[in-house]
Amino acid sequence: MTKEFTLLSLAVRNLKRKPLRTVILAVAIGLLVTALVFALSFIRRVDSSIKMTSDRLGADLLIVPTGSRGAAEDVLLENKAKSFYMDKGVIEKIRKVKGIDKMTYQTYLVTLSGLCCDVPESVVVAFNQDTDFVIKPWLTKKLGRRLRKGEAIVGSESAFNISVGLVDVDSVLFGNVFKMVGVLDKTGTGLDTALFIDESNIDDIIRKGKSSIQPGQISVVFAKVKKGLDPYKVAGEIEDSVIEVDTIARKDIGKNIINALRDINQIFAVTVTLASVLAAFLAWAVFSAIANERSREVGIMRAIGAKESHIVKLFILEVFIIGSLGSVLGIISGTALSLALAKSFTILKNISTDLGIVERSLIALSGLAIGTGVCIIGALSPVRKVKRLEPLVVIKGE
Amino acid sequence: MPQLLMENIMKSYVIGNESIHAVNNASLEVNRGEFISIVGHSGSGKTTLLSIIGGIVKPTSGRVLFEGTDIYSFDSDRLSEYRCETIGFMFQFASLLPMLTVKENLMLPVVFKNGRRAGGADANERKAVELLGMVGLGDKINAYPSQLSGGQQRRVAIARAFMNDAEIILADEPTGDLDEETESDMMRLFKKVNEERRITFIMVTHNTDIAKQTRRQMRMSQGAIATL
Repeated sequence: MTKEFTLLSLAVRNLKRKPLRTVILAVAIGLLVTALVFALSFIRRVDSSIKMTSDRLGADLLIVPTGSRGAAEDVLLENKAKSFYMDKGVIEKIRKVKGIDKMTYQTYLVTLSGLCCDVPESVVVAFNQDTDFVIKPWLTKKLGRRLRKGEAIVGSESAFNISVGLVDVDSVLFGNVFKMVGVLDKTGTGLDTALFIDESNIDDIIRKGKSSIQPGQISVVFAKVKKGLDPYKVAGEIEDSVIEVDTIARKDIGKNIINALRDINQIFAVTVTLASVLAAFLAWAVFSAIANERSREVGIMRAIGAKESHIVKLFILEVFIIGSLGSVLGIISGTALSLALAKSFTILKNISTDLGIVERSLIALSGLAIGTGVCIIGALSPVRKVKRLEPLVVIKGE
Repeated sequence: MPQLLMENIMKSYVIGNESIHAVNNASLEVNRGEFISIVGHSGSGKTTLLSIIGGIVKPTSGRVLFEGTDIYSFDSDRLSEYRCETIGFMFQFASLLPMLTVKENLMLPVVFKNGRRAGGADANERKAVELLGMVGLGDKINAYPSQLSGGQQRRVAIARAFMNDAEIILADEPTGDLDEETESDMMRLFKKVNEERRITFIMVTHNTDIAKQTRRQMRMSQGAIATL
């Protein structure tokens, strides 16, 4: 059986006639798709990390000491080791606000390698296991029991930093020996680099005097509001009645980062739009030249029976091959670039979430569609022109 | 019913303020299986007339009826199908696609026929090879047009015209680039195909000796056609 000669083989043969021109257009499309894939990966990574964090915290409201919104987001979103405290008495004040359904609290302690602790700088989260609804899902899954006094469990990234692996290891935290009893699964939040202990350890830590925390202090209160109530309204009431706290609604977590991202998005949008216009213009120029060069051949094909649709199909196949070739190159290089440069961007460096295969596939498909689409849009006008050529006129070169 | 009937065909071009009649009120009746030659000076309108019959150039006025239907009443796709399936065109000029091999050039009309032909790729390839053998180019099937002489290219175009089993062959100076011996071979081939398969031939030529070998001879002068 011999290989069938089709319009596709004719299109491929045509593209091979001027390989440099084909490569230049494919590279232009590739650059456009590289910029697009990189921008989308960047934006989606930050976006999904913020969304994942706010979803996984499981609280409608975060209540922090006045002026500590930024610090709280730094800890939760960007893995930054920061501590901030308020009096534990706020819990009772908050409980009095109408609309609060459930509450729990956490205390953040920052380790300093060599001074207090034998682990790298990270946040130690002391939490109340009776009221907790933030850490418990992971803890139950991994440990299957409560954390005991003198025990710590580490976040997935912290395990890598501390090199504890999955075996029991003793570490000194704030002058107290803690048994590392396991590693939590990746949560995608800033807490992946933290260590978790029960709040009953706080008194021992304070006694050793190796932390700045004072008795009766906590860092953050997580609250769920009653079903059907507007979290923003409840947040407003909390801020009105408890002056020593600020609130962050779940939807506002990462708002500062999103606002900062808005400018970056605009820069990306302008860059990708300009690259698209440039690529479309290049496709137009290349296919106008091709249409002129091949007008006689088109005339011959029409004279021996090619329909207008055959001519359009032939040219569109060529455009499609170049567009998809460039797009695939762009997807590969854009993805590689986003992975390689991820650690060069402060905003990404501290975000633990990477994009999943589905999200990466969607970005790749968008790149393919836009790369090929831009190429087709650019080539449309010359292709339309060439299909309408009068066969005899172009054959005779009149 | 004649296979082909041209009624009062006019084709005019306007150049500046002047109107030039390339074909001037030409009428012709052609029956299936006829072998007609048309002679005439350069610029007499022969190629234009052939192109009008072939559905390549629309006449300014008049009708071209193929089996009773005006081909210029067809839409663009149907007219392309007429060119593809009914007509085999042998052009006066080089008409091969340079990036395709000889065999692929022959396969091109089949691609445009869009698989309506019985038989698959193998059958079509065998036919292409057989036709190339008939025009004496059996050893050139994988050559590119640039590797062939003008005469050889002409013979490939002749073979291509037979590829889709056309009912009418329109030959515009088909033996123009050929040496005497090859010219005779091609004429023998045309006559054989015409007689054995009852394929209609309308051939334009300068050469009156060639024209004399056909059963019906016409002359074109200043766009008008008359029996010789």
